[in-house]
Amino acid sequence: MLATLNKYRHAFLLGLQSNLVYRWNFVIRATFSLFHLLVVFILWGAAFQGKTEIGGFDLAQTMTYFITLLVLQFFISAFNEDYQISEEIRNGLINQFLLKPINYYLYRFSIFLAARMVSGGLALLPVLIALPLLGDLLSFPAETWRILYAIPAVLMSAMIQFTIAYCFGLLAFWFLEIQSFIILSFAIETLLAGQVFPLDLLPKRLFEISQYLPYYYQMYFPASIITGRATDQAEILRNFGIQAFWVLALLLIAQALWHRGLRRHTAVGG
Amino acid sequence: MKLFQYLRLWLACARYSITRTMMFRFDFLMWSLVELFWMGVNVALVSVIYEHTDEIAGWNKYQMLLLVGSSMIVQRMLMGFFWSNLYELGRNIRTGHFDFFLAQPGNLMFMASTRKLELEGIVNVFAAAAIVVYAARQLQLDPSVADILVYLLMLGCGLVIHYSVVMISVSLTFWIVKSEGIEGSYFTLTEFSRLPREAYRGIFKGIASVVFVYALPVVIVSNVPARALQQGLYWPHALWLIGAALFWFTLATIVFNRGLRRYSSASS
Repeated sequence: MLATLNKYRHAFLLGLQSNLVYRWNFVIRATFSLFHLLVVFILWGAAFQGKTEIGGFDLAQTMTYFITLLVLQFFISAFNEDYQISEEIRNGLINQFLLKPINYYLYRFSIFLAARMVSGGLALLPVLIALPLLGDLLSFPAETWRILYAIPAVLMSAMIQFTIAYCFGLLAFWFLEIQSFIILSFAIETLLAGQVFPLDLLPKRLFEISQYLPYYYQMYFPASIITGRATDQAEILRNFGIQAFWVLALLLIAQALWHRGLRRHTAVGG
Repeated sequence: MKLFQYLRLWLACARYSITRTMMFRFDFLMWSLVELFWMGVNVALVSVIYEHTDEIAGWNKYQMLLLVGSSMIVQRMLMGFFWSNLYELGRNIRTGHFDFFLAQPGNLMFMASTRKLELEGIVNVFAAAAIVVYAARQLQLDPSVADILVYLLMLGCGLVIHYSVVMISVSLTFWIVKSEGIEGSYFTLTEFSRLPREAYRGIFKGIASVVFVYALPVVIVSNVPARALQQGLYWPHALWLIGAALFWFTLATIVFNRGLRRYSSASS
């Protein structure tokens, strides 16, 4: 048991190191995020002109939502894990894992965790520094139960994010080129995970439907707990059930894809 | 005569691109869907915000759709006609494959920018145009042929500006070998072009008008044509846009040719 953990601890540490090396990627990504935030601020600022609330929330609460989302993204989003996995399959780099007593999913997941700890930590820094400036824009709810709920929600979101990316990466067993699949699903995820607008602004019926899709639990769910957009505790508890369902379902899909894919795998290169 | 020859060259490249696309039909379908979905994301944002408000910076829903549609037409045209060429140009300069272009008879900038067409981008120009037509209908606009021609001319200027800006950033590869992230910066910039000019208020009014209207004119690129279609042309704006297009294109030509002199191929 301890030996097993040890294996993945090394993968984790390796992930930490390699992510500290590629700092420039992070800087570029963070800069784009800031510009994106600027666009969001200008657009919503203009929409709030002459209004005190949209969908029951004021401008500060709306901006808090987008800022939270941005920080959360650096902690739990899959950046290019799907691409990396597909490359490893294409280049035959996964062959080495087939011969060793190591679980490829757990190996990649350890690296993913390490990578997100680095990027999340780095993303938190500028936010903390800018806190005095952002003060007027940030308005979090005060209830303490939210913290308790947020932690498992964030963790399960990270698992959903990673597992979806993992599944897309495994498509490389069947298709030569998976970039289009990835960007297509990215568009759907961006919209249905609440990155374009808070999902609660959707018409009621559509909002209800969105709660049954995995995307809702990728980002919006934890963010809505943290920023106070989700208020009904009974509903949150129900949604925890749906989130857990999706974690499980995606893990099963990933497992099935892996086994089916390996049957087709011809181990090119190496 | 020369112009005719370049047209023939371009047509030959276009034919080649179409043949190639037809060989990979599934790929074509997927990438068309990708672009369509991303446009859908933007339209969804507009629809949802306007569920909760009637106007943003004085623009109603259909005016906003007209703006977003116009911005997307320009962007899709850039994607369809130039993007993959420009993207590969950077890579080719880095790897030395650019030698291949040097050996070709003809204007280098033209040859390097027009080799490939991305049909999925061009297909989606029609989707973006459909949004504009729909919005114009809803606004009960009744543009004359002249109005439409002016609108298209303005979009053309926008395309020239977008092309030039991307060309300049790619040409930087001649100097700094590692100039990645161009892709991301372009898409980030175009986000600003989907905002109405009036939305820039407070401190942003000053900063944004300097940076995005005068320095990098992404805002004006979409705002001028969208306004022109609705309220008729305001000549100072149009002249400004044409001037900006000329300026940026000249700058791109200069930067590209300067960079070319530094190109030393790659070893092995």
